[in-house]
Amino acid sequence: MNETSSVSKGCFVFKSASRKRKRQGVDGYMGDGSDDNGKDRFRICQDLRETVQQHTEVLQDQLNKKVLDDLVQFIKKHELCNSSDVRRQGAREIPTAALMLGVNVPDHTMTFRSLCNLLQESVTPFVVSLHAKGCATVKFLIQRVLEQLMGRGMALDEEQDDETALHLNTQCSIGDLCQWYNSVKIRPHRILERSIKPEVKNNGLYWSLPIVVIFKDFEAFNLQALQDFILICSQYTQELPLIFIFGIATSPITIQHRLPHSVSSLLCIEVFHSLSCTQHLACVFDKLILTSKFPFKLSSRVIQVLIGIFLYHDFSVQSFVKGLQLSMLEHFNSQPLSVLCCKKQEALLRAKTLSQKNVERIRHLPSFMRYVETQEPQDQVLLLTSDEHVKEVCQKLLKNLHKYHKNYYPILQCLYSLTSLLPKCPMGKHIRELHVTCNEKNVWEMEEYHSAMQLLRILAKDELVAALRECAGILKSANTKKMQNVLKQVDEFVVRLEELDNLHTEDLPGDDVACSRKDIQRRTDLHYLQKSLLEKESRKTRKMSSFEILRNEVLQYIDELVREYLTPAELQPLSEVCYYSSSGVLRQRLNAAPRTSIQAALSHPFHYLQNEALKTNDGTVSSNAPDLCIIYKLHLECGRLINLYDWLEAFVTVSSATEDKEADSEEYNKPKNLKNACFIQAVSEMEFLGFVKSTKQKTDHVARLTWGGC
Amino acid sequence: MQCAGYPEDKLRSLADRLPCRETQVTTLLSLMGEPDQYSYPSIFIYGHRATGKSHVVFSVMKDLELPYTFVDCVECVSPALLFHRVLLAFFGPDAAASLPRCPSLSDFVRLYKQMSSKTPATQTRFIILDRAERTRDMDFSLLPALLRLQELVSDNVTVILLSQVVWEKFRPNTGCFEPLLFHFPDYNKADLVQILSRDHHPSYTPELYASYINILLGVFFSVCRDLRELRHLAALNFPKFCEPLEKGEAKESDIHKLWRNIEPHLQRAMQTVYLREVSSMQWKEQQMDEKETTTPRGLSAHAHIELPYYSKFLLIAAYLASFNPARTDRRFFLKSHGKIKKTNFLKKHEKTSNHLLGPKPFPLDRLLAIFYSVVDSRVAPTASIFSQIMSLVSLQLLTQIGHDDQLDAPKYKCAVSMDFILAISRTVNFDAVKYLYDFL
Amino acid sequence: MTSKRKSTALTEAQCVSLAQKILRERLCQQRLPEQPVGLESQYRHLLELLKRTAVHGESNSVLIVGPRGAGKTMLLGCVLRELMNLKEVLKNVLQVELNGLLQTDDKIALKEITRQLHLENVVGDKVFGSFAENLAFLLEALKSGDKSRSRPVLFILDEFDLFAHHKNQTLLYNLLDVSQSAQAPVAVVGLTCRLDVLELLEKRVKSRFSHRQIHLLNPLSFTQYVEAVGSQLSLPQDFPHPKFCDEWNRSVTKLCEDKSVEELLRRQFNSSKDFRSLYMLLFLAVIRVSPSHSTLRESDLLEASRLISADSKANILHGLSVLELCLIIAMKHLNDTYDGEPFNFQMVHNEFTKFIQRKSHTIHKFEKPVVMKAFEHLVELEMVRAVDSATGKVQREYQLMRLMLEHGQVMEALQKYPQCPTDVKQWALSAFA
Repeated sequence: MNETSSVSKGCFVFKSASRKRKRQGVDGYMGDGSDDNGKDRFRICQDLRETVQQHTEVLQDQLNKKVLDDLVQFIKKHELCNSSDVRRQGAREIPTAALMLGVNVPDHTMTFRSLCNLLQESVTPFVVSLHAKGCATVKFLIQRVLEQLMGRGMALDEEQDDETALHLNTQCSIGDLCQWYNSVKIRPHRILERSIKPEVKNNGLYWSLPIVVIFKDFEAFNLQALQDFILICSQYTQELPLIFIFGIATSPITIQHRLPHSVSSLLCIEVFHSLSCTQHLACVFDKLILTSKFPFKLSSRVIQVLIGIFLYHDFSVQSFVKGLQLSMLEHFNSQPLSVLCCKKQEALLRAKTLSQKNVERIRHLPSFMRYVETQEPQDQVLLLTSDEHVKEVCQKLLKNLHKYHKNYYPILQCLYSLTSLLPKCPMGKHIRELHVTCNEKNVWEMEEYHSAMQLLRILAKDELVAALRECAGILKSANTKKMQNVLKQVDEFVVRLEELDNLHTEDLPGDDVACSRKDIQRRTDLHYLQKSLLEKESRKTRKMSSFEILRNEVLQYIDELVREYLTPAELQPLSEVCYYSSSGVLRQRLNAAPRTSIQAALSHPFHYLQNEALKTNDGTVSSNAPDLCIIYKLHLECGRLINLYDWLEAFVTVSSATEDKEADSEEYNKPKNLKNACFIQAVSEMEFLGFVKSTKQKTDHVARLTWGGC
Repeated sequence: MQCAGYPEDKLRSLADRLPCRETQVTTLLSLMGEPDQYSYPSIFIYGHRATGKSHVVFSVMKDLELPYTFVDCVECVSPALLFHRVLLAFFGPDAAASLPRCPSLSDFVRLYKQMSSKTPATQTRFIILDRAERTRDMDFSLLPALLRLQELVSDNVTVILLSQVVWEKFRPNTGCFEPLLFHFPDYNKADLVQILSRDHHPSYTPELYASYINILLGVFFSVCRDLRELRHLAALNFPKFCEPLEKGEAKESDIHKLWRNIEPHLQRAMQTVYLREVSSMQWKEQQMDEKETTTPRGLSAHAHIELPYYSKFLLIAAYLASFNPARTDRRFFLKSHGKIKKTNFLKKHEKTSNHLLGPKPFPLDRLLAIFYSVVDSRVAPTASIFSQIMSLVSLQLLTQIGHDDQLDAPKYKCAVSMDFILAISRTVNFDAVKYLYDFL
Repeated sequence: MTSKRKSTALTEAQCVSLAQKILRERLCQQRLPEQPVGLESQYRHLLELLKRTAVHGESNSVLIVGPRGAGKTMLLGCVLRELMNLKEVLKNVLQVELNGLLQTDDKIALKEITRQLHLENVVGDKVFGSFAENLAFLLEALKSGDKSRSRPVLFILDEFDLFAHHKNQTLLYNLLDVSQSAQAPVAVVGLTCRLDVLELLEKRVKSRFSHRQIHLLNPLSFTQYVEAVGSQLSLPQDFPHPKFCDEWNRSVTKLCEDKSVEELLRRQFNSSKDFRSLYMLLFLAVIRVSPSHSTLRESDLLEASRLISADSKANILHGLSVLELCLIIAMKHLNDTYDGEPFNFQMVHNEFTKFIQRKSHTIHKFEKPVVMKAFEHLVELEMVRAVDSATGKVQREYQLMRLMLEHGQVMEALQKYPQCPTDVKQWALSAFA
């Protein structure tokens, strides 16, 4: 039934899918009621979601911190300019911050939210954030501003509430805003009292609190309205300390492209760049995927799907996280054994109390089977017969799995830190690529890995030391026994490398290092590298400097580490418990293809109505398929314009292919007009689905709206 | 400058507050006549931006304490605001308050009559409309009515219109009361020098600054006469100019050396006149941090836009679709087209290249067809592809032609420049030029 | 002479200002002249008509047609002034003045009528089915007490043609209808500058209009014209300072005889006979009088005419930067090559760059955005106009434009232009040859 589910769900946009899950009651959740621990899975899943969500938000704030602080500084600076009345020539210039946000529009809202909060608590209560939607004309634009400012102000002291209400809907001009602002200045508002930090109060600056106007989506604004608004505001710069913030998705060029000189000369623009979304993703990836904090893992394929969607379709980190959460849901939904996918202790407890059904399930896990085969015969028997034993083993395995994760990530990072400094990064620019490769197959059997190792072998000493130091740094944070040992080892290597040169510098052949240096400098193409490597080999046979010996030793060690710890996750027994691997489903969910699904439905009705009669070999259409399907199949043969009459004829012949054998004439034409009716209806359905539309060019013809034979 | 009916000292102060505008001020004053005399019903003052139209009028009114109201027509989203302002200025808030909900001209005139009959004008009242060109698109009868307001309200009132558009563009087709035209000429070089030299830097001698201004004008005068812009440029480049002085490499006396220092710099700045790439403040900071100034890293320094992979191809496809004639598609995108010579499908009338005429609209399916043929890998027509098209529209990289509610066959245009597309296609190493009909 | 002036300087200054006050009022048409100049016949005709309504209570309708500034309002004003001198008229007749510019639709107009008839309180908050009912009610309400005949009403519709644009001309229809039927004595006087005004009226309206028209086609001869000037400028005899007055009037007469002034006036006369432009000229002359030279001199008039006849477009062109001039020339080239087809910025820029590369040595090579800004400036000045105003959708570069300037203007501007580079001149010549 997979196709059916895929097609039907494929039509949904992914967002609503996740929402629906949340809204559904707990019991209605987790598929088959036969299962006892649906609730638990749901709970685990929920708090996992929560934690992930929190993490991302925290992360977001950290990442935006810099640019936001810059903005605040900028505003404060201008605030001072305003308060101290040094009115330069350019006094009419309105300070404007152009905030570059990148094209990942979905992520902007979060940024703006945090920006607003930050401003309101640290700089000024008067923050207006405008959306292009509400501001078709300058009138509305001004109205929005006034509503947001005065509305807020008045909301606090009600006695003027109605008064302003009428104010707003009669005629609103910036002039009114001025009056209001002055009134606020004179008898400081309660908002001010609350929101202003004492020191600001003390130095009496707060009568010049700036009014910040944020244009969230600069590109979408109506030009005329925007220009007029700026012109108007520039009239009032003396009275109102206005500050603009343009949220720009594309590039700063748009400003001078969209504003004529007469307007742009009224602005005093500074550009601020927020973190690029790719960097952003990298951080999120580190914090959410490459960590043993979360028991839930993604298999390499799923990661590829998510990354692909990110890189190819939308640069939106939000939707990446959403995807992660969705896969979480899917995992906990589809995999009953995911009860075990939680913190170590908890998992062990659950493992003790596994239901008989689940034990069976465990037995059928491929990874578990693989494990079983490795055991001695009697153990195998035990494993296949006694549930208790299985539970024992399972606990042990779970422990191992957690250990594996604990060790995997540090080593991965070490390897990355080593390989990333190689030219043309043979193991991939980003750590995620390395992670994926490691997760898929044995790294050490890969071509790239070997070439990388080769390159490492000709690494100069200082570079090597630096790299090792870095690794040591990474390992410090990892707190398993094994890792500590590794750390010791690495440190020791470092020490030895250090003392190497102050021990016997003289017999260290300068030329060797020199030439290796040279290589490093003009390592350009791999081809050249191979050559150099080969001659190195040959030279090595001749003589080996102690450094080289040591270097090889180090690399040897690293290689061992890789072989030990970077084994692909699939091989780990019970990996299915934590790893979500059904990438196909995920792709269908996140990257829905409504057209294809509809077309699939129409061309292969069998998938929906599981009716043997409809089973056809491709190309042909069975006569007792639904009319719509027949019509569809027929129209695929036609060109851009379809003659309705021919179509009808074809339809009649096809659909009456079966019965007109035994049909004799007088009852044959009765269904005829019935057929016409069917035909008409089917065609209208086609039109409704957007495959055809009636055309002016030719009466009794319809135009095809899809192209090609698809 | 002396004019009957106005206190001497004020006129004098005016005169030196308004440099190079003496003649204009005198003419204006004589037009206005003595406060109690009638002035011409409507005066139309025109001249380029930043020739001190509004400044002169405003400060004259202000200093001579005449009854006036100064309205910027951009602000008057509805005539109601204009009426409100006028009544408020002349007859106080209660008069303004007595305006009905959405007042018509006749309401306004009626009220004005009432009020002025109560308090007749002892001095000429002035209504000054800045950016008067906006009144044209407000209400067809507003402008003609304002022009003959004196007659309509039978009160000593004069309407002064300020605009940088000539009067010919205002005159309605049925004609109207002709205002008195009065031109504010642009400043000549000497004037500019005089004015700009006024805001000289405190820590340097005026002479130095004057010579600096001279140099500046020498470079920019040909391209830019706008006082405001020149002022901006002056403020921008002065620190650079007196850099050698600070370093002690030159003395104020050897102008030539200073000139040699600043000249190339100004030439470079020439490329960004009018663009307002950097605010004066930011510029100063730049001067601080990087001593040797490369070309200002302004707005245009980073024109590049990060786009998702498929969006890039969609954009390229859109560009091709909007700059190639549809019938050439088979030749470009059919994998196995025979060797069709360009001449075969070059028509006579198509001599002018499409890159001059601009992008043509194209239907969605053509865009997708091209997209699928240019994008290297095989792409499913997923929802996110379509959503990308929409987001490109919202980013103004594509523009949608026709209404948004047109579902079945929406039409688009590509709204980005050639170099932009080339830059993008370079990142996905796709040779766009090979596919452009104009460059065959 | 000089000594006397010194002694009477103070009073002199006062005299000047007083004289100016008088003349200004006259020239701003705040004061009606004693007699309308050269309009005697029309005057009598109109007066006769209105008398009939005012005195004998006949209804009537008349159009006063004449070009702007021909003195329609003035004529009517004089007539009314005289009419109101009759006692019985003054207390009896009601006036309603409407202006097409102000009463932009019939609802407003009706409100205004009610107001001017002082019937707000009578009407109160009645609701009327139709406009006609409402008007009928108003007129009914005017029936003053016992007398069966109601008071005559003069409806004066300024900018009459604008009323014709109101929704199916309800107001006009009803007014004229009333003026036709004998229900209440009403005179409808329309003032308009459109000779074809009757074509604007719907048939039903037209049929109800008594086709009386008074044309003010101002048949002044030049001598009359000059006389008019003289009378406009000369001070009244009751001027407090007779000596000054005589001096002034003498100077005025002298002025009118002066040759240069005469041919100046003739030029004015030939260009347009209407008074308002003349008044503007005189106004500009008068304001130049000051205590320092207390009489009107021909130089003043000459200066004034110079001011009036200044070509504003040329003035604006003079202020353009060289770059912008170059763009205009480029546009001219385009106009020639594509005989008057609209062009877009892209083409202009193309032309410009060609010029830069081939011919120019002095002009700097500008970045495209800079040129764009210059172009935008031209658009702002409306020297270039977009063909269609659908700006939102089209990119700025590709918006189709038209040049709004004549050859002559551009060439003249180029001649006048301060230190215009020669190669630009050359280029322009190659265009305008």
